[in-house]
Amino acid sequence: MTADAFLFWFLAFVTLASGLSVILMSNPIYSALCLAMTMVGISALFVTLNAFFIAGVQLIVYAGAVMVLFTMVIMLFDLKKDVQAFTKGKFTGAVKIASVGLLAGLVVGAIAMSVSLMGEKTTDNPVMVGTGMETTKALGNILFSKYIFGFEALGVLLLVIAVGAVALARSKGGTHEH
Amino acid sequence: MGMGKDIFEITVNGLKLVVIFLMMVQMVPILVWLERRGSAFIQDRLGPNRVGPLGLMQLLADAVKFLTKENFVPDTAKPFLYYAAPVFALIPGAVAFSAIPMSSPIQVGTFEMFGSTWGPYTFLVQGYEIGVGIVFILGVSSLAAYTLLMAGWGSGNKYTLMGALRASAQTISYELALGLSIVGVIMLYGTFNLTEMTLAQQGPLSFTFLGNNVTASWLPNWGIFYQPLAAILFFSAAFAESNRLPFDLAEGESELVGGFHTEYGGFKFNMFFIGEYGHMMIASGLMVLFFFGGYTIPYVSVAELNEWAASVTSTAGKASALVALIHFLAFNVKFAFFMWVFIWVRWTLPRFRYDQLMDLGWKTMLPWALANTIITAFVIYIASL
Repeated sequence: MTADAFLFWFLAFVTLASGLSVILMSNPIYSALCLAMTMVGISALFVTLNAFFIAGVQLIVYAGAVMVLFTMVIMLFDLKKDVQAFTKGKFTGAVKIASVGLLAGLVVGAIAMSVSLMGEKTTDNPVMVGTGMETTKALGNILFSKYIFGFEALGVLLLVIAVGAVALARSKGGTHEH
Repeated sequence: MGMGKDIFEITVNGLKLVVIFLMMVQMVPILVWLERRGSAFIQDRLGPNRVGPLGLMQLLADAVKFLTKENFVPDTAKPFLYYAAPVFALIPGAVAFSAIPMSSPIQVGTFEMFGSTWGPYTFLVQGYEIGVGIVFILGVSSLAAYTLLMAGWGSGNKYTLMGALRASAQTISYELALGLSIVGVIMLYGTFNLTEMTLAQQGPLSFTFLGNNVTASWLPNWGIFYQPLAAILFFSAAFAESNRLPFDLAEGESELVGGFHTEYGGFKFNMFFIGEYGHMMIASGLMVLFFFGGYTIPYVSVAELNEWAASVTSTAGKASALVALIHFLAFNVKFAFFMWVFIWVRWTLPRFRYDQLMDLGWKTMLPWALANTIITAFVIYIASL
């Protein structure tokens, strides 16, 4: 086994094991920490694919900011009540079955997509060639030319979410309710 | 990215990682001594001067005390997180510090050893070189927030939880200003690579503006003259990132006892301490790399130094080693200055209130960093017309 293959299997194992722990842990804090570990594992997998910039952004945005906020918020909850609410009841059961269905669809879709992608050579993809600045430049060019609509639409979506969250919080009195 | 092509290169590169980690850890007691003597100097006291010459043996005494303290775990603590947090505190600092280039590479020619011919090799004076250097360092240091949360929640104490929430909220708020403040620097040099940034800053100040070459021979070609606002924002945000005064809201003795590490004693506390100094070292190192020419010497270009070294030594290998040594010293002089600024500020400025801290981060530094980014982009575009 070559060093690259060993690295891939090791990282894949760590990522999948921590991903599984997210749903198997009974304590939400450990789940959140395991999800952060999964993000770090995915970032390391990006490094093995020569996508250094995406690996760095994955670390900064997902592992370093989004998951820290999740963990912070979970730490402020009354955990015992929430654990019961999410493990018992018919509604929760229905949500679980729906999640299993979604996951199964995702797996089938991923396998079908990856089979069609296998034929594509990595050298055809500008994002995959070179290291450091060239890949970042290629990524920026694609993002702001070919995928500009999706990029801007996502930006607007995030803005709407932020405004909506503030509006909802204010309509219920927010933190300054008397 | 590889470790090397044969066993000798792999061994040297492996040892290098160990040496850089030890360098980081061993710098901490010296900095603690400097901090205590420096604070005494600033406050017109003597400081620790009884144990050994200049009180230097105090460091050893402290280390022995840390190691021999009772191992204590609070009843309400989660043992796994409680023990894991101090270990994790060292990882981001050590991993990020290894990616900082501290000198020019050393060339080793071919030589005979154990009956076979080895070489030639090029060894970098840094743990490893990464193409997207600065993105990697920011990414790894952003993981430090987990340490605070793990320690604060794992201790099972409401003061530590409050301290951890404060500290991590502060860290992720200022990370934004920190990241944005260096976008201008990245655009200016057109690279993420720290070595390329260093080499772009050699020689006298000279740039092309609207097709005219402007040269100021009395100034070095340092980033601070192109990006002064970014330098101020970056250094201030770095103080907040490493939880140092005036931003050490994580502690606040009067409200929170010791903050997230209230329940930690002995060597476990010491590891948090080393982590904090590790962040200071990364911030000082990056400050030198971005704004103060990295390992280059002002007014002397790397090519001139190489020429001089080749004239006084016999082989190319020795010349590169001499150049590397001079560059290493130059880097460390600048590095030590910024470490001293960290200590200096700590004993000069009082602590902010929490709302002032958040106002400064979100309402002052973030807009200024954004403005700096946009103005830099316009200036670079106009200058290249």
